[in-house]
Amino acid sequence: MSNTIELKVPDIGGHSDVAIIEVFVKAGDTIAVEESLITLETDKATMEVPATHAGVIKEMKVAVGDKVSEGSVIAIVEVAASAAAPAPAAAAPAPVAAPAPAAAPAVAPTVAPVAGQYAGAVDMEVDMMVLGAGPGGYSAAFRSADLGMKTVIVERYGSLGGVCLNVGCIPSKALLHNAAVIDEVAHLASNGIKFGKPEVDIDGLRGYKEKVINKLTGGLAGMAKMRKVEHVRGIGTFLDANHIEVQLTSGTGKDLTGEKKVIKFAKAIIAAGSQAVKLPFIPNDPRIVDSTGALELKSVPKRMLIIGGGIIGLEMGTVYSTLGARLDVVELSDGLMQGADRDLVKVWQDWNKHRFDNIMLQSKTTSIEPKADGIWVTFEGPKVPSEPQCYDLVLYSTGRSPNGKKIGAENAGVIVDERGFIAVDKQMRTNVPHIFAIGDLVGQPMLAHKAVHEAHVAAENAADHKAYFDARVIPGVAYTDPEVAWVGLTEDQAKKEGIKITKGVFPWAASGRAIANGRDEGFTKLIFDAENGQILGGAIVGPHAGDMIGEVCLGIEMGADAVDIGKTIHPHPTMGESIGMAAEVAKGVCTDLPPQRKK
Amino acid sequence: MSNIIELKIPDIGGHAGVEVIEVFVKAGDTIEKEQSLITLETDKATMEVPATEGGVVKEMKIKVGDKASEGDVVLLLEVGAAAAAPAPAAAAAPAAAPAPAAAPAAAALVEVHVPDIGNFDAVEVIEVNVKVGDTIAIDDGLITLESDKASMEVPSTAAGVVESIAVKVGDKVAQGALVLTVRSSAAAAAPAAAPVATSAPAAAPVAAAPAAAAPVAAPAAVASAPAKFDEANFNKAHASPSVRKFARELGVDLSKVAGKGPKGRILHEDVQSFVKSVMTSAVASSFAAGAAPAAASLGGGLDLLPWPKVDFAKFGPIETKPLSRIKKISGANLHRNWVVIPHVTFNDECDITELEEFRKQVGKEWEKSGLKISPLAFIIKAAAEALKAFPEMNSSLDGDNLVLKQYYHIGFAADTPNGLVVPVIKDADKKGLKEICKELTELSLAAREGKLKPTDMQGATFTISSLGGIGGTSFTPIVNAPEVAILGVCKSQIKPVWNGKEFAPRLMCPLSLSFDHRVIDGAQAGRFTVYLGKLLSDVRRLIL
Ligand SMILES: Cc1cc2nc3c(=O)[nH]c(=O)nc-3n(C[C@H](O)[C@H](O)[C@H](O)COP(=O)(O)OP(=O)(O)OC[C@H]3O[C@@H](n4cnc5c(N)ncnc54)[C@H](O)[C@@H]3O)c2cc1C
Repeated sequence: MSNTIELKVPDIGGHSDVAIIEVFVKAGDTIAVEESLITLETDKATMEVPATHAGVIKEMKVAVGDKVSEGSVIAIVEVAASAAAPAPAAAAPAPVAAPAPAAAPAVAPTVAPVAGQYAGAVDMEVDMMVLGAGPGGYSAAFRSADLGMKTVIVERYGSLGGVCLNVGCIPSKALLHNAAVIDEVAHLASNGIKFGKPEVDIDGLRGYKEKVINKLTGGLAGMAKMRKVEHVRGIGTFLDANHIEVQLTSGTGKDLTGEKKVIKFAKAIIAAGSQAVKLPFIPNDPRIVDSTGALELKSVPKRMLIIGGGIIGLEMGTVYSTLGARLDVVELSDGLMQGADRDLVKVWQDWNKHRFDNIMLQSKTTSIEPKADGIWVTFEGPKVPSEPQCYDLVLYSTGRSPNGKKIGAENAGVIVDERGFIAVDKQMRTNVPHIFAIGDLVGQPMLAHKAVHEAHVAAENAADHKAYFDARVIPGVAYTDPEVAWVGLTEDQAKKEGIKITKGVFPWAASGRAIANGRDEGFTKLIFDAENGQILGGAIVGPHAGDMIGEVCLGIEMGADAVDIGKTIHPHPTMGESIGMAAEVAKGVCTDLPPQRKK
Repeated sequence: MSNIIELKIPDIGGHAGVEVIEVFVKAGDTIEKEQSLITLETDKATMEVPATEGGVVKEMKIKVGDKASEGDVVLLLEVGAAAAAPAPAAAAAPAAAPAPAAAPAAAALVEVHVPDIGNFDAVEVIEVNVKVGDTIAIDDGLITLESDKASMEVPSTAAGVVESIAVKVGDKVAQGALVLTVRSSAAAAAPAAAPVATSAPAAAPVAAAPAAAAPVAAPAAVASAPAKFDEANFNKAHASPSVRKFARELGVDLSKVAGKGPKGRILHEDVQSFVKSVMTSAVASSFAAGAAPAAASLGGGLDLLPWPKVDFAKFGPIETKPLSRIKKISGANLHRNWVVIPHVTFNDECDITELEEFRKQVGKEWEKSGLKISPLAFIIKAAAEALKAFPEMNSSLDGDNLVLKQYYHIGFAADTPNGLVVPVIKDADKKGLKEICKELTELSLAAREGKLKPTDMQGATFTISSLGGIGGTSFTPIVNAPEVAILGVCKSQIKPVWNGKEFAPRLMCPLSLSFDHRVIDGAQAGRFTVYLGKLLSDVRRLIL
């Protein structure tokens, strides 16, 4: 004999319309008295609602996201006749004995997309599982561990560091550094100092790059160990909102060993990053590469085509050109290095004219044909060679696509959009409250420093802090020669959006240091709000622009105005000085330039 | 032949008191027409003032840092003979400024500003009674301001046609703020003057988009955070990253915090004091609104039961009337005071038989002058004297400090048709009874007519609430924070008092002193009340 009763929300201290953030049980479950049914979250605290009766759940009346008050029905329970004696509930999910407060029991909350329900064996239980070991992932994992969570990183490659350390920021900069020195040394000829033509041992150069990577990834592995962050090596796929299956990998790549591990986690941070987009019309051929292929530096081509004139393509082009390749670039839009103001790009382009045979704007390839003597490419556009061109190396750098669709996120109930991005709020939370996402796969700009800051926000929130991604701006840098760096509002944007600005531009032609360095082509530009005077943006073109833009970022975050920046004493003679001077120009008080027209 | 003329500031778009930030010429300079003389900077823009004539500068009348308005003399110019020819003056060339183009024809525009409203610095405009085009006379009510003490109308200081209105309901204003611009009657008659573009404010506020490269995520159907924040303005708030982080931890929406740092920067302390103010008002609103909603956001409030919701109509006919504004305001204040201050009330009686005789006698003498002498006047005077003897009664609590005031301003609760107000008699210790009586009469009248100025209600160091005309034997008045004590007075009655030999009929006045027990202890309060009673029993002591 049995009868059904309603389990209701008890007195919760006079709060009403309190949100349900977790549901631990589902229809069919057998529950015991005092077993947690749901978690409520007021703006004060979270609280679990325990069952007042034992029995079998016939029907759930609430879901995550519902608002309830005292007396709201949570579930209909069929109470066994014997229920008076506390039934030793069969499948009572033992709460994870984790230091993290909201220890989520085994059963996942129900959300759209409907999460899976994994009930199989578990090899490992952790407080925090981070998927992906890029700059986002390792920063999230390390911060989580520092905050006391037992943390594991799932990463398919043998070394930590992701794209950034292995095939991105760092190796590209290792090569660019060498290229820059070669170029600089060549310039010395006009100062009366001649070194002959450089002899490039391409294997040696590649070896240097590998050494740089290994030094950094080795450092990361060491720091992971010190924090007791375990690296589970393999390809991770979510099973449900609290389990991930890892197909173990080995070797230098991601060869499957055939083994699997299931990790049960209380919280997760998805940091699976992005990969280069390969457009469908691009054939497979070893001479056609993405940035990763280009960084392998197999040989130096005579002629190289770059498809997509963004930062990554132009950085790689710089390296190959200095090593001896002639460059062509084809770009769909009307200018290279989109995003930066055109006056900056012009300086870079003038300085780099010698590298290019053809800069094809508003143009595209119509056919790419690998032949024995090279890759033959035909173009369409206002100023393209009419004949097919032959290249020894073709680099496609037409953007990166997020890995959101390749990780089984739907099994965890996490919403992934059709392009593979995962939407998050300012606390880096996905639609599933205990799962966070960061880095390239949550959106543009796809930059390592953005990933790292997001990582800290996510980890802190997982540890129940109240952290938000509140940065006003994220700087961008092209590490070309000269470098182009910009942050915040650009002039183009201000024009487009009708934002009233005042600007201050300091040409490096007036910088003693830039002249002494033989590099006075650049300039520094600051953009201020015409109304309240605060700095909204800034841009620098010139050697080491990227090293200097941080000051502008700080100014923006602090709400500095031109007087603050101009009255900050910068050391002389430096290029950094140009930032103070640009601020003075904005105020009309710069004495390193001819008298300004009175404003 | 030469003559000397004055170059003046032209119409600068209705701004007055605009700062001179640069001066480009000096005495002895030869200047040309249209040459820039000075730069003015308003809060909106900078503009240069060009010369309307060429010549030699004889004398500068203005320097950097001066505040200038239309018509102020910039400099004296010696105009050469030749220059005299092209008709002088009138030329008042429009300031060739990138900024709010100054209107050419100078009409007789008069600005009306907020007068001295006591030292409030952000009083809310709750009503705007005129609109552009209205014809107004001097003293017409223009706008209504409401402080936490009272509301007041700002009367017009000019007559004419309203050209533009600079405030709207909800704005916070302070003394000196521009209310509106009036085209004074005289000038208005002449239609000539082109519609003066008081353009300045209009053009500006293009919503300065939050710094471009802003974050990312479209927060989709994201389940979490109870954020009711104005995120866009949170992002724009003038606060450093560390302050933003601090605000997030406390759940403070920075878009609602006023910065007190340089250039309006929001500091750590501003976030803290915002939290404090929310906490105290949350306590109040949880009481007023019942359901304790606001208190919930920051914790620390009282964990009260929800306000009972009763369908009164079920039990009989009802009528619902909104609380008067004064009741709403004083209610919130009273409630805060009641909740925050640990109150104790000390009750006593004093013998005012002789005082009453004296009062009647004086009353007769004053009859002709029309001046009434009330018992309250004596109590005010006596209270001021008693406070002198007990300085801690005349103090305020400021964190861990006690602020002892060396002046004796006595507030008295006045019952008005709209609710309770507390006018203040300043320096009661220095005033004679006659003066106190006079002020008492005037202030009570103003209170009843709703004409008290905010300054009339500020600065009290001690308050008296007298129900003497009504009845009662004792009650618990609520301390009027940040004061530390309040005296309640009930109706005096003739009672038998043992004088050592017999019961004698004496007129006894009940005194109820409520005090802030954090500052004053019981013995002290008792001594103070007894001392006060003595002064009242023998008013001769008042002159000691
Ligand atoms: C050539 C190049 C140059 C660049 N230069 C710069 C630069 O100078 N400055 C800059 O800021 N940014 C630069 N970037 C971009 C930068 O590398 C990325 O923004 C950054 O690496 C993103 O970090 P992330 O943590 O989001 O992801 P990633 O670095 O992409 O890391 C994701 C990790 O997740 C792993 N992973 C994915 N799916 C799974 C799975 N299912 N199971 C297990 N593991 C998985 C991947 O193997 C990878 O290691 C460059 C990129 C490239 C390609």
